Amino acid sequence: MSILLDRETRVLVQGITGRVGRAQTRWMLEYGTNIVAGVTPGKGGEEVEGIPVYGSVAEAVTERRAEASVFFVPPAAVKDAARETIKAGIGLIVIVTEHVPVHDVMEIRAFVGDRGVRLLGPTCPGIITPGQAKMGIMPGNMFRPGRIGVISRSGTLSYEICADLAEAGLGQSTAVGMGADPVVFTGMPELMALFEEDPDTDLVVLVGEVGGTQEENAARFIARRMTKPVVAYIAGHNAPEGKRMGHAGAIVQGNMGTAQSKTAALGQAGADVAQYPLEVVKLVQKRLASR
Amino acid sequence: MRLYEFEGSDLFRREGIPVPEYEIAASPREARRKAEAIGLPVVVKAQVLTGGRGLAGGVQAAGSPDQAEEIARRILGSSIKDMTVSRVMVAKKVEIAREFYLGVTIDGYHGTPLVIFSTAGGVSIEETARTHPELVISRPVPITDGLRRSEAEQMVREAGLGGEESPAIAGVLDALYRVFRKYDALVAEINPLVRTAQGTYLALDAKVEIDDASRYRHPDIEVSPEERIANPLERKGSQIGVSYVDLDGEIGIIASGAGLGMATMDIIGRKFRPANFLETGGAITADLLYQVMALVLQKKGLKAVFINLYGGINPIHEGARGIVRYLKEHPASIPIMANPRGNRQEETWQILEEGGVRVVTGVATEKAVEQLVNLLEEAR
Repeated sequence: MSILLDRETRVLVQGITGRVGRAQTRWMLEYGTNIVAGVTPGKGGEEVEGIPVYGSVAEAVTERRAEASVFFVPPAAVKDAARETIKAGIGLIVIVTEHVPVHDVMEIRAFVGDRGVRLLGPTCPGIITPGQAKMGIMPGNMFRPGRIGVISRSGTLSYEICADLAEAGLGQSTAVGMGADPVVFTGMPELMALFEEDPDTDLVVLVGEVGGTQEENAARFIARRMTKPVVAYIAGHNAPEGKRMGHAGAIVQGNMGTAQSKTAALGQAGADVAQYPLEVVKLVQKRLASR
Repeated sequence: MRLYEFEGSDLFRREGIPVPEYEIAASPREARRKAEAIGLPVVVKAQVLTGGRGLAGGVQAAGSPDQAEEIARRILGSSIKDMTVSRVMVAKKVEIAREFYLGVTIDGYHGTPLVIFSTAGGVSIEETARTHPELVISRPVPITDGLRRSEAEQMVREAGLGGEESPAIAGVLDALYRVFRKYDALVAEINPLVRTAQGTYLALDAKVEIDDASRYRHPDIEVSPEERIANPLERKGSQIGVSYVDLDGEIGIIASGAGLGMATMDIIGRKFRPANFLETGGAITADLLYQVMALVLQKKGLKAVFINLYGGINPIHEGARGIVRYLKEHPASIPIMANPRGNRQEETWQILEEGGVRVVTGVATEKAVEQLVNLLEEAR
């Protein structure tokens, strides 16, 4: 078991005919993902890596029963594509695209309302359930199957930490990239709640970074609701004030959003917080041994 | 992208927010002429992309043309928080009866616009929130509905203002929300909005930050993001399309992701100081990494460069070719160490090794950095 994605999930790739969409479709297929269709407006009837391409999401749902979608759509097209996908009844949408305007993200969130659709991203690596399937861009060889749930704001740093865990024999149930924009679709507490309920996850690793309040909200959730152990690492202990550190949402403003304050908040809530990535492995081993 | 006060004021004027009469001057003579044209007294204000310019002497009143010229001479070319002042605003001085704070920003966690009003104007809203939280009235706004006029008026009344004041200020709040939405702002702030002795309302400052991701749909905002980056290395980074932050240290860093870059800084920071943060983003090519190498190696006093790459969305074997080409043309006198992992890692290792880069294979960043530290300590 896992959260959100497994080998049966019928995956649609939007923007499949683009350069990145094509390349990533091949990696996802090689990993075992059950890709059933692609969509690019105006390119219906083509094939990419043997996968049929449709002109609309509604067709892909009707013809191929697609139930989850991963976006390699240009930033300016994300808002309309997301609305189309939600209306077509897709239940899970992963938006890999970087540089989506923040106002569009807020509008999509408002459009989702209480329709019960789960979106991840934007600017996110996607989801991987090791040994089964991946929706997104993460390199599969950095992960291995196991019982640790991983939630990360950063893509590359989640690869690093999952590779460190895998090296120590600690595989992952599912690793989720939530994205690093100022506004994301699904926050840390909601993802932690999914892992809390997943019978095949024993412990959750949170990978945060400077800026925003995701980690502070995660800390409140840990204190109130989590029964499973949580280990965390926050990147950016020596990030200077007022500078965007690559991600649009990774900025220390005044004394707000520092790695130190997030580390303290999570620690007070009962999580074990590492100072460096590799220390995550030691803390996970310690927590699992003391159960 | 943060706008200068005068650019923000232009947007305010377009959307019907009243501002005092103002002109821009780039020389003391020009400031004098503009002051005469507007009519004295005036306020001469440094145009810099930072707060706290008032305390730094960047905002001064002038009662005569001579005085306006003299103040402009002192401010122009001076430096406020490391930013050189190249323009001043010359604005009609108004008599202030009362100051207010108005702002629209984004509640990142809930994903909605957030409208803020306070009767404590002229001081930082963060400061007010800390010392007098009861004076800060804020409301999340459902983005599909927008800010309702009745809601805006209610916020103003909640702050203890009645009579004619609440519709007047609510009107400005409404226009500010329009600016925020229309121009894809991350922040739109008036601090202070003043009631003048004559009973009119004027925005005496404009702080607007536009979402860089939205620039394609605002051709009407003709400003270059690069020209407003003061640090030359950071400006160069923005021009080539990577995120570079200049730091005070001796180990250059190149990372293929933001989180990875910050973690690499944390790890290197245990023994050495990072000279920079650099994140390539997800569009690595040979040319990009060639330019990135040139950028990072421009920094003086480097002891080594550490390259941390993951092949996920990025074709790192392509990037490796650019690194090697740069080093062939510009042999480096300091160690260049790389730790590439992920898709096509074996190919990448081979290209880099053949090009004279010290390659660490298949280990955690900590272990790779340990090897770099050993190397540098042996060389001492």
